[in-house]
Amino acid sequence: MQRLLWVLWPSFIVAGVAEGLFFTVVNPQELYLFGEPVHFSTLATLSIGFLAFWAICAGSSLFTCFLQKTPGEINGRGCGQPPASPAAR
Amino acid sequence: MTTETSSSSATTEQAQDVALFEVHKKIQVRAVSGIFATWRWALVWFTQLLFYGLCWLPWNGRQAVLLDLVERKFYIFGLVFWPQDVIFLAGLLIISAYSLFLFTAVGGRLWCGYACPQTVYTEIFLWIEQKIEGDRNARMKLDAAPMSARKFMIRGSRYAAWVAVALWTGFTFVGYFTPIKTLSSELMTLSFGPWETFWILFYGAFTYAFAGHLREQVCKYMCPYARFQGVMFDPDTLTITYDEERGEPRGTRKKGADYKTQGKGDCVDCGICVQVCPTGIDIRQGLQYECIGCAACIDACDQVMEKMAYPKGLIRYSTEHAIAQHWGWKDIAGHIVRPRVVIYTVILVAITAAWFWGLANKPVLRVDVIRDRATLAREVENGLIENLYRLQVMNVSESAERYSMSVTGLPGIRLAGETEIEVPAASNKSILVQVRVPPESGKQGSNVVFFDVKSTRNDKIAVHEKATFLIPR
Ligand code: SF4
Ligand code: SF4
Repeated sequence: MQRLLWVLWPSFIVAGVAEGLFFTVVNPQELYLFGEPVHFSTLATLSIGFLAFWAICAGSSLFTCFLQKTPGEINGRGCGQPPASPAAR
Repeated sequence: MTTETSSSSATTEQAQDVALFEVHKKIQVRAVSGIFATWRWALVWFTQLLFYGLCWLPWNGRQAVLLDLVERKFYIFGLVFWPQDVIFLAGLLIISAYSLFLFTAVGGRLWCGYACPQTVYTEIFLWIEQKIEGDRNARMKLDAAPMSARKFMIRGSRYAAWVAVALWTGFTFVGYFTPIKTLSSELMTLSFGPWETFWILFYGAFTYAFAGHLREQVCKYMCPYARFQGVMFDPDTLTITYDEERGEPRGTRKKGADYKTQGKGDCVDCGICVQVCPTGIDIRQGLQYECIGCAACIDACDQVMEKMAYPKGLIRYSTEHAIAQHWGWKDIAGHIVRPRVVIYTVILVAITAAWFWGLANKPVLRVDVIRDRATLAREVENGLIENLYRLQVMNVSESAERYSMSVTGLPGIRLAGETEIEVPAASNKSILVQVRVPPESGKQGSNVVFFDVKSTRNDKIAVHEKATFLIPR
C-alpha cells in the first residue's frame, strides 16, 4: 500500500504541474496527433493529457521504487517494508 | 464518580489504544470542544462556504469565479486572465509560499491545524462519523463488534453520508471549470459529459479516501509541507508545547489531593491529550513532526485542568525559548521580530506590491502581429507592394470595444481595406490586413514598420507593435 502511494502520489503532483505548464503554452485545440489535428473536445484533450502525464510520471516513480529495493529484498530474503525512516525518501 | 477511577480506566484504554495503533494504524479520535476547536470550526465554515458557495455567485452575467479551460480564460470577479498572464499565477504561488513561510516561522503549523483542506475535510468527515456512530468509545466498540445487521446499518449509513459529501465536493470542484449552471442542469437530467463524470467521480473519490480513510497518513507520509516545515522553525516559533517541568512526574491522584508533597507534577496522566490527537501522538514526548498543530490537545488538557482546579495551559502555544526561560506572552511577543521573520516579511511585501502593481497595470488590449506565411510580398494595382499580416486583437477588458488600426514607418504606407475592428468583451478576433507601400519608399529586403491599434473610445488604450515589411528585389 505504501509502495503504491509512493508511486502514484508524487507522480500525481508532478503530473499536475506538468499539465499546467504544458497547456499554458500549448493550446489544446492546436495539437496534432500523428499528423492529424486532435478531434476530441478540449476537456477530453486536457483530461487525457493529464492522465498521460500521470502515467509517465508514475513510470518514473515506479522505477525509483524498484531501484530502491534493498539487497535483502532482491536476494529474496523476504520483501519486507520499504525503509521505515521517513528520511529515507 | 471520582477522577481516580475514570483516569485509571483511561490509562488502560490508552495502553490498548497504542497497541491497536501499532497493528491497525486506525485512530479513533475523541471529540473535543474549547476555544481552539471553535476556531477550527470557524475556519471549516469559512473555507467551505467559500468553496461550496463561490461557484454559484454570478458576476456581470457570468460566473464570478470560473476557470474556463476550454476557452483558456480564467475569470475571477472583474478580472480575466489569459494564458499570457501566467506570470500572475506564478506570482500568486510565490506569494502563497512566502505567506506560508512567514506564518510557519511565527506561529508554527497554523496552516495545517486550521486551514489545510486535509484538516478541514477530515473534520467534516469525523463529524459525520460522530453523529452516526457515536463517540469514541461507541465507535471502538462498533469496530470490535462482529458484523451484525445493526453494525451493517450504522456503517452503511456512515459510508453513504460520506459518499454524498464527497460527490457534492466533486461536483462543486468541476463547477469551477465548467459553468456550474450548465453542470446543474445536466445534473437534473443526469447527462454529464463523459469527462465531467470522470472528474466528479475522481475528485469525489479523492475526497472520500483522503478525509475518510487516509486522514493523518496524508500528513505523515504524503504531504511535502509536513516534511520541510521544520526548516522554518526556530526556537522562537510558536508550537504546541507540553510544559514538562510543570507536568512531570505525571501520575494519577485524587482530586484536591496535595500532589505536590507526593512529588507529582500537574499532569494527571489521563491520556485524553492522546485520545483527541488526530495523528495519534503523545505531545508529552515533545514536538514531533507528526504534530499538525491543531491544538486539540490544548483544549482537552485545559478541560482536565479546569476539573482539577489547576491553572490552565499545561499544554499551550509556546516557544522553545519561552518554555526554557519561563517567558510570558510579553516576552514571546517581543521575540516575534527577528531576522528570519523580517526577511520573509520584506520579501512578501515586495512581491505582493509588485503583483498588485502588475495587476493594476495589466494591459486591457493585446495585439499580436503575425506575417502571413503564404504570401511574402506581392505587387498589386498601381505598382504598390503589398504585405499581408494577421492581427490577433485581444480585448482583455470586460466590455466590447472598437479599435482603429493604422500603420506607420515608411513614407506612403497605408492599410487597404478595414481600418476598424470591433471585439466583444474578453475575447479575441483575428483579422487579415493588407499593407501597401509605393515600391520606392523603402529599401529592398526587410523594413521596420509599426502597427498602432487604438481604442476609439479611449486614447490611452493603445498598442504599438513592431513588424517587418518585405520589399522584393
Ligand atoms: S499533538 Fe496536539 S496539536 Fe499536535 S496534532 Fe496532536 S492534538 Fe493536534
Ligand atoms: S497532559 Fe493534560 S490531557 Fe494529557 S494526560 Fe496530562 S493532564 Fe491529561
